[in-house]
Amino acid sequence: MVPALALAEEAAPEAPVDWRVAVGRAVAAGFAMAVSALAAGYAQAKIGSAGAGTLAERPEVSIWIITLQALPEIIVLLGFVSAIMINAS
Amino acid sequence: MSTTSAVRPSTTGRKDYGYSNARVRGMRARLLNRSFYDTLIEARDIQQMIQELTSTGYGPDLEEVLIKGRDAAVVDEALKNNLVRTYRKILGFLNDEGRGLATTLLGRWDVFNIKTILRGKHMRLPAEEVGESLVPAGQLSEIELNAMLAQDDVKSAIDAAVTLGLPYAAALRYGIGEYAKTGELAGLELSLDRHYAEWATKRLSRRGANAAIARRILGTQIDIVNLLTVFRMQKADIESLDVAQFHLPGGLAIGADLFEEVAGMSDVDQVLDRLRNTMYGPALEDAAMKYIEVNSLSVFERALEDHLIRKVTLSGVHDPLGVGVVVSYLTAKQNEITNLRIIVKGKSIGMPVERVREELILV
Repeated sequence: MVPALALAEEAAPEAPVDWRVAVGRAVAAGFAMAVSALAAGYAQAKIGSAGAGTLAERPEVSIWIITLQALPEIIVLLGFVSAIMINAS
Repeated sequence: MSTTSAVRPSTTGRKDYGYSNARVRGMRARLLNRSFYDTLIEARDIQQMIQELTSTGYGPDLEEVLIKGRDAAVVDEALKNNLVRTYRKILGFLNDEGRGLATTLLGRWDVFNIKTILRGKHMRLPAEEVGESLVPAGQLSEIELNAMLAQDDVKSAIDAAVTLGLPYAAALRYGIGEYAKTGELAGLELSLDRHYAEWATKRLSRRGANAAIARRILGTQIDIVNLLTVFRMQKADIESLDVAQFHLPGGLAIGADLFEEVAGMSDVDQVLDRLRNTMYGPALEDAAMKYIEVNSLSVFERALEDHLIRKVTLSGVHDPLGVGVVVSYLTAKQNEITNLRIIVKGKSIGMPVERVREELILV
């Protein structure tokens, strides 16, 4: 009797996800990704033009400029993680 | 003079200052500091000064001209070439709006150059000697200035400006009549100053924070010219003159009414008292003590110039995303060249070290 009950519990079907929730999650994940990518792109464009100007006059600070240029990548990485978490919830 | 191309101002287009401001900040980091000035002042002779300067950004400009000799005049030429080259470089990478604003402010170099040529022609000085004093850092190119310089007299020089269609031709044509009548350059020079003040004020009258910065600087420059006119009038008989005609429009604090009021005052003390509450009050009060000692109006000229340089140089610090950084650098660079010229010329004529130090403007 007990094993039969246990088997019955395991075989219980998952409740179907409402399609509107699924679409909402996908849109939210896409939005998080898109906004963070645009923000990172904007920041990199500004840093890039300023960095090019600085490098034209002071090539010795190139390491700093490359570091600063890479920093906005964190924004898009955070957006990517947010998108995954939204989709997985 | 090493540059030949003219830069005409543009008023529209891109407004991103990220690249240009970062580049100018990089250039600003190479401006000479006080300890370098001290090293230069304490140099034994011109040879050591040249050696010290060669190790800075002035090296390439010095190497270009050292073939002509190793004296103060050659160093002076190298310094001027460096100024012109630096200005052209900045105008070359500035965005359209910034170039328009900077070129408008640099227009006062055109006025300086034309006045220098006219004075040289008026006094019948050799063209080479006058040419050494020119600094083609404004709109007018070296070729255009040389075309005026090659003429025999003031009238021919103005005719050349009209033929070439130079921006100041109309003002010169307007003033030539009085010159022909009186034989004095004052009217012509006033006409030039007025033309520049009106032209630049009109160009900077559009909206926007960057135009406002440039307008404040131009307004201060015009105020200073008006104040210097007032001080000069103290030593001249002006009772028969209409003083209003000497007022330049576009200033910040010295309007036509105040100008006429102070121009009509009988002594410098009264003028200083009346100007105490204006933005130039502190600078003039500081100079007043020195004026009592030396009794020369040049102390006020120096004090006002000092005020302008400090104001413009420090204004850019608070404007990292606008034209302020560039305008501030243009002024700081000009001040650096002026300081170097004072040191080199002063030392070469045997000026005492303390006197040389007094003449420098250190911001």
